[in-house]
Amino acid sequence: MAGSNEINANEAKKVVPLHTWILISNFKLAYNMLRRPDGTFNRELAEFLDRKVSANAVPVDGVFSFDVVNRSTGLLNRIYRTAPPENDSGEGNVAGVLELEKPLSCSEIVPVILFFHGGSFSHSSANSAIYDSFCRRLTGLIQGVVVSVDYRRSPEHRYPCAYEDGWEALKWVHSRTWLSSGKERKVHVYLAGDSSGGNIAHHVAHRAATSNVEVLGNILLHPLFGGEQRMESEMKLDGKYFVKLQDRDWYWRAFLPEGEDRDHPACNIFGPRGSSLTGLSFPKSLVVVAGLDLVQDWQLGYVEGLRKSGQDVTLLFLEKATIGFYFLPNNEHFYTLMDKIKNFVRS
Amino acid sequence: MGPYDSSISAAAGGSTSSSSSSACSSSTKPPDQMDHLLAGAGYKVRSNDLNQVAKRLEHLETVMVKSSPVDFSELVNDAVHYNPTDLASWVDSLLTELNTNVSGQPGPGTADLSDLRDFPAGPYGNGNVTQTGEFSQQAVTPLEEDVSIRLVHVLMTCAEAVQRGDLSLASLLIDDLQALLGRVNSGCGIGKVGSFFVDALSRRVVNSPQNGAVQVDLSAYENEILYHHYYEACPYLKFAHFTANQAILEAFDGQDCVHVIDFNLMQGLQWPALIQALALRPGGPPLLRLTGIGPPSLDGRDSLREIGLKLAELARSVNVRFAFRGVAASRLDDVKPWMLQVSPKEAVAVNSIMQLHKLLGPNSSRGPPIDLVLDWIQDLNPRILMVVEQESNHNQPEFLDRFTESLYYYSTMFDSLDACTAQPEKTLAELYIQREICNVVCCEGSARVERHEPLVRWRERLSRAGFAPLHLGSNAFKQARMLLTLFSAEGYSVEENEGCLTLGWHSRPLIAASAWQAVPKPSAATTGL
Repeated sequence: MAGSNEINANEAKKVVPLHTWILISNFKLAYNMLRRPDGTFNRELAEFLDRKVSANAVPVDGVFSFDVVNRSTGLLNRIYRTAPPENDSGEGNVAGVLELEKPLSCSEIVPVILFFHGGSFSHSSANSAIYDSFCRRLTGLIQGVVVSVDYRRSPEHRYPCAYEDGWEALKWVHSRTWLSSGKERKVHVYLAGDSSGGNIAHHVAHRAATSNVEVLGNILLHPLFGGEQRMESEMKLDGKYFVKLQDRDWYWRAFLPEGEDRDHPACNIFGPRGSSLTGLSFPKSLVVVAGLDLVQDWQLGYVEGLRKSGQDVTLLFLEKATIGFYFLPNNEHFYTLMDKIKNFVRS
Repeated sequence: MGPYDSSISAAAGGSTSSSSSSACSSSTKPPDQMDHLLAGAGYKVRSNDLNQVAKRLEHLETVMVKSSPVDFSELVNDAVHYNPTDLASWVDSLLTELNTNVSGQPGPGTADLSDLRDFPAGPYGNGNVTQTGEFSQQAVTPLEEDVSIRLVHVLMTCAEAVQRGDLSLASLLIDDLQALLGRVNSGCGIGKVGSFFVDALSRRVVNSPQNGAVQVDLSAYENEILYHHYYEACPYLKFAHFTANQAILEAFDGQDCVHVIDFNLMQGLQWPALIQALALRPGGPPLLRLTGIGPPSLDGRDSLREIGLKLAELARSVNVRFAFRGVAASRLDDVKPWMLQVSPKEAVAVNSIMQLHKLLGPNSSRGPPIDLVLDWIQDLNPRILMVVEQESNHNQPEFLDRFTESLYYYSTMFDSLDACTAQPEKTLAELYIQREICNVVCCEGSARVERHEPLVRWRERLSRAGFAPLHLGSNAFKQARMLLTLFSAEGYSVEENEGCLTLGWHSRPLIAASAWQAVPKPSAATTGL
C-alpha cells in the first residue's frame, strides 16, 4: 500500500469518534494544500487557515493565560496558570500582573511544563486553538504552570533553529523567579511536546543534560523520529490513519539541512550518526506511542535506545490510538494519557 | 458497529454539561447549537450538521485525490478562501472549486458515500467539555524588572481609588507613581506608556472629568501633524486604508458609477491608492465620486476642499473622472443623508476608519447616535460598509475596567512603536496615542469620545442594525501580510477572525477591519398587515 492513493477513510472512521475524525481529516486535507511538491510551503494560506485564540487573563474553568515575548528571540511564550483564590480587594482582574512579583509558592513544589507544540516542524503556533485548548487542560490537570512556546518553523527555518529556540525557551523559564517554587526557590521544569514538539523536547533535554541545566522529566507525545530505513509500521500503516509516509518524508526534507538524509542525528536519535546518552543525567522520560501511528517503530526504537543507555523511560502504548487523539477529550486514550502525565509530574 | 458500545458509556460517561444527551453522536439538538468540542479547536459547526460535514470532508478528499495535478495546484494557488471557522462552508467552497475545475459541471452526488453507522457511537457524547467562551482581549507586557511591576501595581491601586472617589489617596499614589517613574527607563516599555497613564490619572484627579477641560484642544493643523506621524510610524492606519480599499475595489467590480463616503477625510491619505487602482482596472475606471466628511474649519481655511482639489488633480493625471464634495460636520450624527446627495444609480461605499465608536456616547434628544447613523447608512443601501475599529473594550461602565483594559492595550501598542526608530515620527505618534489615552481615562459623558469596543460587539450591533457580513478572504489576508513586510518591523501579525482581519502586535490584535452590506429591509407589503 505504500505510496498508493487509495483512500482509507473507512479504516480511520472505525477507530475514532466523529469529532476527532472531522478535526484530523480537516487538518489532513488543509495540510495537503500547503505542502508544495517543490518543497516550499504556502505559509500565507497556512496562517490564514490556522485557527488562533488570544490569551485570556480572565480565568476560564480555573485557568488563565497571558503572553510574554522572549526579548532575545522575539518569539511568543504563552503562560497558563491556575487562578488564585478570589481575594477581597477584587483584584482578580490583575491577577496575572500581580502574581509576577512572587514565586509560585515558597513551601510547595509547583511543576512547570515547558510545552513545544507539534505540526511536523512546519505547522501551528502556541496560540493555535487546538494547542491553547490542550495546554489549558494540561494546566488544570497538573495544577501547575504550562509555558507554551513558539519556535521558528521549516522550511523557512531548518535545523537547528527549532532546537536553539527551544533551548532559549528553557533558559528563559529557568530564569523567571515568578515560576520558581519550593523551599529551594527554583523552577521545577518538565519538557513536553507532541510530534515535532516531542522531538524538540528530546534535543533540548539532551543539551540541558550536557550543560548541567536541570530538567525533571520529558513527556513525549508521539514524538517525530525517523530514519532512512523503512520500518514495518511505516509500510503497514502508510495512508491508513490520516498520514502518508510521503508526507512524513516531505516534512523531514523541509526541516533537515538541504542534502541531508533521514539518518541525520536530529531525526534518527539512536541511528548510525546519533550520539550516546549513556552516563548522561538525562531526565526521566514518558514516551506515549499511538498504536495506529506509522512512526511508532521509530518511537519504540527510541524507547529501547533510552533503556539501553541506562536512562529511566516509561512507555505508554495506546494500541488503538491515532495521531492527535489528545486534541479532544472524547476518548479513553485521552483520559489514560492525562492520568499518566499527572502521576509523572507528581512523583 | 464501532468499538465503543453503550455499556461502556453508561459507566464512563461522566458528563457535567446539562446539554449532553446520550452516547449516540447523532442526537438532535436545538438547530443553532454549535458543537462544543470543535469550538475548542476554533471551528463553528452546528451539532446537527456534524455528520453532514464528515460526509463532505470525505467527498472532498475523494475529489482531491482524483483531480489532476494541474487542477489541484490551481485550487491551491488561485482559490480564495473565506472564514475557515465555518468549516462546513469552507469545505463546500473547496468542493465547488474542484468540481468546477474538473468537469465544468456540478460534482457527483453523495449517493456513493459510506454509511454513517461506520462511526462508533462515542461514549463521551458531544457536550462533555465546558467550553471557553468569548475571550476578553488582554495581554501583559514583559514585566521583568521589579520596579516596572510595582509601577503597574500602584497604577491599578490608584485607578481603584479614583473609582471609589477617594481622590486624596489617589493624589498620594500619584506622587508615588512619579517617584517610580523616575526609577524606570522612561524611554521605552512600561516606563513610557506608564508615564502617559500617570499623567492622565493626575489630570483626572485635578480636574473634574465632566467639564472636559482636561486636554488642551489642538488646532486642526496640530491634529493633522500628529495624525500624519502616527500614520508614518506604525502600520495601523496603513493597514486600515489598504484593507478597506481592497474590499471597496471588489465591491465596485463591474460598476460604472461609484460613490465613496469617507467618514473622516483628514488628509485623504487613503484615496490616492484607490484612485490609482481604479485607473488600472481592467475595462477602465468608473466615474468616482468622493464625499469627505470632516469637522468644520475654525481658521477660515476650507481644508476639506483643499484635500478634494489635490485628489482631483491626481485623478486627472491618471484619467479617472472624479468629483469631490466636502461635508463639514462636527459630529457624524449631525450629518443628514440628503447632504451626501447619493444617486440611486451609484454603487455606494461607506468608509469608517475609527469613527463609529465616537457615536457610542450619551444619547442625544433624537436617540442613540449610533443607531441614528447606522439607520441612515442603511437607507443609502451601500454595496459595502467598511468598518475599522480599535480592538479593545474601552467603553465599559466601570472606570477601573476601562483603565485596566486600556493599560494593557496601549502598552502593547507602545511596545510595537518601539520597533519604529524614526524621529520625529515616533515621538509625535506617541503624542497622538497619548491624546486617546487621556480621553479614555480622564473624560466622561459627551467629552469621552474614544469609546472603543471590540469586534465581537460591533458584530452584534451591526447585525441588529440590519447589516450582513461580507467576508474578507485569503487574498486580502495575503496582501495585508505583504504590506507588513514592506513597511514594518517583525512582530506585527495579521490574523483572520471569522471573515474579518485584525492587525496586532505578536498575538494581541489591536485593530480590526470588517466589511458589511445592507440587508434590504422587508417592505410593508410583505408583512401581511
